[in-house]
Amino acid sequence: MRWQGTALCVAALVSTVWLAATNQLILYIHPRYIVFTVIMAALGLVLVVASFRQSPANDHDHDHDQLSPRGYRSVITITGTVLTLVVAVALVVVPPATLTTATAEQRVINSTQVGAGTRTVDSAASAPAGAFARFTVLDWSSLLRQTTDAGFYRDKAANVVGFITKDTDDPQNVFYVSRFVITCCAVDAQPVGVPVYLPNWRDRFAADQWVKVSGSFETNPSTKSQQSIALVPSATTKVDQPSEPYLY
Amino acid sequence: MGIRVVERERRGIRAPTIVGLSVGIAGIVAIFLVRALTPALGPWSLPNRVQDLLTLSISVIIESLPFVILGIMLSILVQVWVPDRWIMRILPRNAFLRRAMISFLGIFLPVCECGNVPLARGLIVKGFTVSESMTFLLAAPIVNPITILTTGQAFGFDSWVFVARLMGGFVIANVIGWLFSKHPDQDTLLTDSFAAECRLPDDPHEHEQSRWQKSVELFTRESAVIMPALFIGSLIAGLVQVAVPRSVLLSLGSNPLWSILAMMALAFVISVCSNVDSFFILPFASTFMPGSIAVFLVFGPIIDIKMLTLMRTTFRAKVLVQLTVVVGLLSALIGLVVNYLA
Repeated sequence: MRWQGTALCVAALVSTVWLAATNQLILYIHPRYIVFTVIMAALGLVLVVASFRQSPANDHDHDHDQLSPRGYRSVITITGTVLTLVVAVALVVVPPATLTTATAEQRVINSTQVGAGTRTVDSAASAPAGAFARFTVLDWSSLLRQTTDAGFYRDKAANVVGFITKDTDDPQNVFYVSRFVITCCAVDAQPVGVPVYLPNWRDRFAADQWVKVSGSFETNPSTKSQQSIALVPSATTKVDQPSEPYLY
Repeated sequence: MGIRVVERERRGIRAPTIVGLSVGIAGIVAIFLVRALTPALGPWSLPNRVQDLLTLSISVIIESLPFVILGIMLSILVQVWVPDRWIMRILPRNAFLRRAMISFLGIFLPVCECGNVPLARGLIVKGFTVSESMTFLLAAPIVNPITILTTGQAFGFDSWVFVARLMGGFVIANVIGWLFSKHPDQDTLLTDSFAAECRLPDDPHEHEQSRWQKSVELFTRESAVIMPALFIGSLIAGLVQVAVPRSVLLSLGSNPLWSILAMMALAFVISVCSNVDSFFILPFASTFMPGSIAVFLVFGPIIDIKMLTLMRTTFRAKVLVQLTVVVGLLSALIGLVVNYLA
């Protein structure tokens, strides 16, 4: 099964190099691991190419020693090979993508405090007026976890970009403008979001749509939603997915 | 006559070499082209869950791949380039001291757990007993400079979590090593194919091979074993993450016992590398008790979906079940003690 190992190496290494070259490796891993990943992928490719030069004559000694699988074992082996190849083909063929609302809902938005340098109420209170427009979804969601005092949010205009995830309590009128925060790779992505009160939002937008929302925080007019403070938008526009969809 | 035979043999070896090289490079170029061209065919409207399953599985592969390559390269270094007597000579003869010292090998070979599997295989081939190699496999992901540094940065070098992780990793690796050293026939702990590989006499071609050729040969052999396991492990890890709601685990956070079990389950599912797991688990520190966090950091590097699939390339299923149970119980004990003390 030497060919399988080599084929999987080529699929994974070539995809890694291509993802790095097109700046899409960040869809899967944190930017701080990119250099290490690319160096190791390049070394791996050198070894793979070197292995092509190796005479296959050396093969036969080892192949004799592979125990030939029988019965249910062969079913497991074949299933394993098929699944492995499916993943390899997906790796090479399917266009890379960010995580979607399926994972955001499954992991529950704002269920954990995330990000090493999360914004504190004290630092936000002393921030200059213009700074709030640059606050991200992560900044606002951290603040909303810390205080629901409507007075704190007065005169602090928000301007955030994220994808739409419905609020489970009032899906008709409230959605989250949400982002994933990753610490290592997409596997550990935690969804964060800012609740937005926009009655009948589904008439204009669909879940997963990337939007830019401008507005101010107010006591949430929704009676069903459990969020006491929500962003009431003055403008909500569709935007393209940013080149760096995750926050860190 | 003799010259002709030599000439023919030389041609016989060279012909497939050139063919192999050409086909291989053509294959790499073809895969690169396919990878570069398919996104232009437009977005694939896969169902969200399927798309996320792919994204998560691929993320595990890409995150682990550099460590796997590094692990295979270190395994090659140990097997082909380091003289046999070097490693064996510096290790003490007393079994306990020997295993204790092996636990610190990770300091010089800082690979996280997935890269340690090929390295541990290499150490068995090199002459380590199976239990000694297990001690290395279990200790090295925790007792290594990168993990020590990241855990210290995340939780503080004087925190319970930091101390519990380092001590816990060391103790568990040595207890496991001691337990399996009691097994009368260590070779039966290994899978048939790997045991056969360890028993192989020197490859008859090996004497004709240079060290570089041996290294490349070893890379091919190890990647044939490790890569399929990595792909399958990543797919299962992705599947479980799509299927099990995270809220189920998080709701158990404040109970001293349940939070420990929940953290073990989370570590098992998430399959994230030991070099980086501290930053992942840090945000959970506010909801979970410190003992449970310590359990995540001790249990996770040793037992998770990806790691079990990778270890299955080397150890029998029965051994992995025993390993999981003992590591689980010991981790839980460490967690309970920390929850009680902290």
